[in-house]
Amino acid sequence: MDNRKKNILSRNKIHTQMSEAGAYTVTTLEPWPSDVKLYQPYEVEQILLQDQANSLAVQVFLRMCGLEFQVEMRSNAEHMSPSGKLPFIKCGAFVVADLDPIVSFIANKGINLTDHLDAAQKADMRAYMSLANNILGNAELYISWCDENVLNEVTCPRYGSVYSWPLNTLLTWRKQKQVTKKLTALGWITKTLDEVYEDVDHCCNALSERLGNHLYFFNDRCTELDAVVFGHVFTLLTTPLPDNRLASIVRSYPNLVEACQFLEKAFFQKPTAKTTDDDGDNFN
Amino acid sequence: MQTSERNNPETAAETADVPLQLSNIKALVEKINVEGLGRTKDDLVIKTIKELFEAKDFQQVVLKSQEVRTKLEKLGCFKTVGVFIDTSKGEDATSSGLEITFTVKELKRVLGGINTLVGNNEGSLVIGSNLPNTFGRGEKLQVEYTYGTKQSKGFNGMFVKPLHNKANSILTSSFYQQNSEWASSGYHLCEQGISLDASFDSVPLLRHSVQWEGVWRELSCHSRTTTFPVREQAGHSLKSALRHVIHYDNRDSAVFSNRGTLFRMVQELAGLGGDVGFVKHELTYQLNVPITNDVVLQGSFQGGFMKRLNDEKMIYICDRFFLGGPHTIRGFEQRGIGPQSDNQALGAQTYWAAGLHLFTPLPFKPGHGGLGDILRTHFFVNAGNIDNFNFGNNIKESARILTDRYRLSYGMGLMLRLGTVARIELNYCVPLKCQRGDRTHHGVQVAVGVQFL
Repeated sequence: MDNRKKNILSRNKIHTQMSEAGAYTVTTLEPWPSDVKLYQPYEVEQILLQDQANSLAVQVFLRMCGLEFQVEMRSNAEHMSPSGKLPFIKCGAFVVADLDPIVSFIANKGINLTDHLDAAQKADMRAYMSLANNILGNAELYISWCDENVLNEVTCPRYGSVYSWPLNTLLTWRKQKQVTKKLTALGWITKTLDEVYEDVDHCCNALSERLGNHLYFFNDRCTELDAVVFGHVFTLLTTPLPDNRLASIVRSYPNLVEACQFLEKAFFQKPTAKTTDDDGDNFN
Repeated sequence: MQTSERNNPETAAETADVPLQLSNIKALVEKINVEGLGRTKDDLVIKTIKELFEAKDFQQVVLKSQEVRTKLEKLGCFKTVGVFIDTSKGEDATSSGLEITFTVKELKRVLGGINTLVGNNEGSLVIGSNLPNTFGRGEKLQVEYTYGTKQSKGFNGMFVKPLHNKANSILTSSFYQQNSEWASSGYHLCEQGISLDASFDSVPLLRHSVQWEGVWRELSCHSRTTTFPVREQAGHSLKSALRHVIHYDNRDSAVFSNRGTLFRMVQELAGLGGDVGFVKHELTYQLNVPITNDVVLQGSFQGGFMKRLNDEKMIYICDRFFLGGPHTIRGFEQRGIGPQSDNQALGAQTYWAAGLHLFTPLPFKPGHGGLGDILRTHFFVNAGNIDNFNFGNNIKESARILTDRYRLSYGMGLMLRLGTVARIELNYCVPLKCQRGDRTHHGVQVAVGVQFL
């Protein structure tokens, strides 16, 4: 709830920022600059599950839109972000963080992936997106910060890796308190690990049913939902953890895995991404 | 009995039969009493008053007892110190024997207070408490909480231990948290740190401080409009630095000085641990020359230079130098000179600034002896330059780079003295030479502060 409020808030701020610039209409028509950068923490030694998932989601979304960008890794990406969320993009003078605000920012430039959806489908897509983000996102947070094993073996060394002593322990502890507070507000803190796994299983089940034997969730063409699910599924499948039950749960839904592999091939193993329509057509 | 009015002996009289020639009266201090001692340690008091026994005549006794009294007051143990000189009584007393009694009143164990403080363009409220003379040798334990008008909140705790030696050595250890807002550079800074300081006089008036400081800094963006080069530096950093400060000040007063020199040099080496690394030198010089009775010419110079230590350690925006504003080069906005991005100052690694001021009393000296004495008019010319210069190989080349594209402003104004350290300036400024990107301020500029160029 809190989360969503913040999203809406930041989205509003972008709008006002744009209109303050006195060039709202001009901005919408302004072409996508060539020097757009996406900022995220260091992938190999620093980034954590949820940030990785979100970053991948935004990256694949931008590629789906056929927009060019470069990935910049910064150890202080979290603090550079205007809302504290990751990843964020810098497009000209604008700095926009998190998927939803980025989607609406790009929609203001006249580019979106949801034109082919009717109203009901759009509502559906929103619901599934929030399902994926809430359940999978929070599960990732929970595993990273509340599971002793993962916390000590993965999260702490990674989060503190960019700081010198004693900041590494201090800041990790501070972040842990922050995340714990958030999970408490969301009611996740009282869950056991098994309950979390169960939630993830339910969520994957729902997504898998919606996907059926297609490669995209709606009309065999890509939407934000595909990007979000790709981010989470790919991250959960490829991130090594002391306990790989999360990966095995996801793996038990072959159609999700297949869609994920397909998107990876389509958008990450080509030098440049083509436009959405082309990709959709290729598949058909 | 306080005989300060008799301190100066009559040097003219040389004959022995002048009765009031104090230096001819043989005297021997036989006994010294100190009344009112509580927790103050005896060894410290004995060390301070011992020299009184060396006095050979009455004049010396009087002078030395005054000296000792001042020393006792400076120990930081007593609120008041009184002296009483009497002839010594008792069985062992000789005819020239004296007995001196110091009546002291110790400071309370706990002191507290609420003060207002004026810093550079910012007022703040300070709530503090201290334990003077904590362990009986003039130590001080102090905690303070500061609430400023510019969202600068902070607290600090300090333990001061004077060593009571010839060099006036003082050891200080402290911890602090400080928040500051720098809208002109688009960032907010929260610093938490500990520091150790040893200061001493090498020759009279020349004070040295050797400091170590470990600070955790959190730099965050001031708003959504914070320019990207500043945004890139947001986050946490850890600085561990050694610093050497030399301070020399023989001015007759800190504000509206009539004569004297101020010299201050700071050398800092950061990078002993932590991720911040640089070598930094900074120098301040001020010379006051009286031209007539109350017209004073003041020349001042500031300069600073810093260099990154190595490729692994960083210099952050909060480490850099800034220039411009009513406290440095007048006629420019706060931090309005030097590298900027979206009208936000990024700071630089080298700067110099110089000022020439002519201070005069108000025309026709209204309010002489009253309000007029805390008011002055001044005329000034300020100049300076700041940038990340790439110096040439020889001195000539470097000097050319430093003076190329310098800034210049002049103006006049009214100054009001606040207490003994701060002043308010109301100036009309005209920027004469500026460069592209500078934020100038032509017109009236107001400043409150302690340190001015």
